[in-house]
Amino acid sequence: MISLLKNLIAGRRLLLDFVSRDLRARYVGSSLGFFWSVIYPVMNLAVYVFVFNIVLKTTWGPDQSPLEVVLLMLVGIVAWSAFSESLSRAANILVDNANLIEKVVFPSAILPAFVVGSALVNMAIAIPVVGLVLVYAMLNPTTDPSVLASAAETGNLGVQVGLATLCVPALIVLQGLFTLGLAYFLAAFNLFWRDTMHVIGVALMVWMFLTPIFYPPYHVVQKGFGWTLDVNPMHWLMEMYRGAMVKNLWPEPIDLVRFGIAAAVVFFLGTTFFAAQRKKFADLL
Amino acid sequence: MYEKTRSSDVGAMGGTAIVARGAGKAYRIYDKPSQRLWDLVLPGGPRGREFWAVRDVYLDIPQGATVGIIGENGAGKSTLLKLLTGITKPTTGEIETNGRIASLLELGAGFHPEFSGRENIRLNCSILGMSAEETEARFQEIVDFSELGEFIDRPVKTYSSGMHIRLGFSVATSVDPDILIIDEALSVGDEHFKGKCINRLNEFQESGKTTLFVSHDMGSIKSMCKHVVLMHEGRVLEQGAAEDVADEYLKRAKVRGNDKMSAANRSTDAYPRWGSGEIRTEEVELFSGDERTNVFEPGAPFQARIHFEVLEDCKQPVFGLGVYRSDGTYVNGSNHCWRKSPIDIPTLKKGHKGYADLSFGSLPILQGHYYITVFCYDHSKPAPTPIDHREHAAVFQVLDADHRQHGVLLLPSRWEVTVRGGEQYLSEE
Repeated sequence: MISLLKNLIAGRRLLLDFVSRDLRARYVGSSLGFFWSVIYPVMNLAVYVFVFNIVLKTTWGPDQSPLEVVLLMLVGIVAWSAFSESLSRAANILVDNANLIEKVVFPSAILPAFVVGSALVNMAIAIPVVGLVLVYAMLNPTTDPSVLASAAETGNLGVQVGLATLCVPALIVLQGLFTLGLAYFLAAFNLFWRDTMHVIGVALMVWMFLTPIFYPPYHVVQKGFGWTLDVNPMHWLMEMYRGAMVKNLWPEPIDLVRFGIAAAVVFFLGTTFFAAQRKKFADLL
Repeated sequence: MYEKTRSSDVGAMGGTAIVARGAGKAYRIYDKPSQRLWDLVLPGGPRGREFWAVRDVYLDIPQGATVGIIGENGAGKSTLLKLLTGITKPTTGEIETNGRIASLLELGAGFHPEFSGRENIRLNCSILGMSAEETEARFQEIVDFSELGEFIDRPVKTYSSGMHIRLGFSVATSVDPDILIIDEALSVGDEHFKGKCINRLNEFQESGKTTLFVSHDMGSIKSMCKHVVLMHEGRVLEQGAAEDVADEYLKRAKVRGNDKMSAANRSTDAYPRWGSGEIRTEEVELFSGDERTNVFEPGAPFQARIHFEVLEDCKQPVFGLGVYRSDGTYVNGSNHCWRKSPIDIPTLKKGHKGYADLSFGSLPILQGHYYITVFCYDHSKPAPTPIDHREHAAVFQVLDADHRQHGVLLLPSRWEVTVRGGEQYLSEE
């Protein structure tokens, strides 16, 4: 792990070049350019809102306004997209860049890192836009009497934006560590078992629906599947993002600690596996 | 290319650039891809078979040397280069290199098609391990050398393959490496750019840098390298002065060429053959002097023997032979009738067998692959009609060790250079 970190530090300029090229490559030649970073999650949101909230009428709390629900979903989607895009690209990143590994002396550790970095930067671009909508929602609280009545009972203050937002960068860093660990593992493992890139697509879909992004967590608990939330680090992360961004709540210590541990362990295992196998990469491709 | 050790502390001329001590590389070949996974997670391995692409390689290349590596396809040249550049690690033995290595194994590895030439230069430099300052300092030089003109600002996806290579070469050689490794990359590009590349390589050699050059074109190896390493089936068969090793290589190429040619000659029924069929031509044997062969040197004696069998009585048959280059160019054709002193065979009786010989005192053609078409025509009528016309009846190859002349024909030649009112120089072949 240490040698790999040294590698990344030595190649930091290369890493930055790769991230910046990748970000520009996303939108080179497209007329809307960087707006796609925002349009994409919003379209995603529209689809899921239609399916879950309008067609399936998933009930969130009676004390939550529709806008609050939509924003809770949006925050989840933005964070999840960065995570899932990183992993699905990372799984095949060594194969995609085979000519760099086979033909040039190239620090392969750069490759999964730039994919994750690029996704996180993309997410960081979308967050301020989400923030604007959040501020709008806070300044224009709901006037629906039934929501207000039950909100008064439960003490729900609606959308709140405040100082807790300051912890978002830290959450992004933690998410980055967790994602990087998995990305390193998947990238290296895919060379041994090329089905990895297909499996990861399916696995990410299952994982997404098991994580309460489009429905409130209490539904899972009520149906007796509460344990799935206790083993799902992405759920802990989602709760922290939502609290910090939508409700102005600092992360629950338990969530912070267990996600921090999960991120550290995954990062350690993933980078160690990658570092142990990377000498073979040129032969495996 | 990520070796940052600079040559300054390695010592100038006289040091060693590359040392290999018993280096070998084994690849594992699996029957099923899943075996690779089991090898990773389960005990009881390793599964699959070992394949030694390179073994027992000892090299000691001094700084400033220009070394050629030759060998046929699959001899392990590319694997050796990957070992020397550090792209893969040797399974056995060790390899030491001093100084920054630039390899031209693939030009323009990592170019992004959507970005302009300029942007790709920057990224490629950074991939090759150059700092931002180095890149800026050499940027204009790279742009000029590539001669891309206004294309430098267009996306690389709009480039022709030649432009792609020009850009790649410009970047790769401007890294200012101490050791440059070239894998047949120069065989592309137009003549003008090829000339520039060779100039750059010459400058390189003159400034005391080490060059490794891989090719199976004996001509370019001999003209560029003093020292040659001959590889065969993963081993270094011979290394030493270019002249000696090159001869050994050609000898082997001849033996192998003969094997391949005789195999090709056995299966020539695939080509068109027509005629009335009274005479059937059979095998065409080729000789150089007394030796039966299918591989000739330019200027060597050449003899073709067409065996035939008479199936029906036949009047005034004439045998002929045409030589074609592999691209279909008709090189030479003749028969024994249309001559100053023609051979006239009044009649051949059914059941007779025999052969017709055609010889050239010396074969005046240069390196390449050739094939022979055999004609047997009936000249008893005003317009000759085919009895047995057989295309591709035999193939042969001309191998040229010297490469003193280029093109199709070997011509006896004489050069004179005269300085008005001064010396005169003369070369009789």
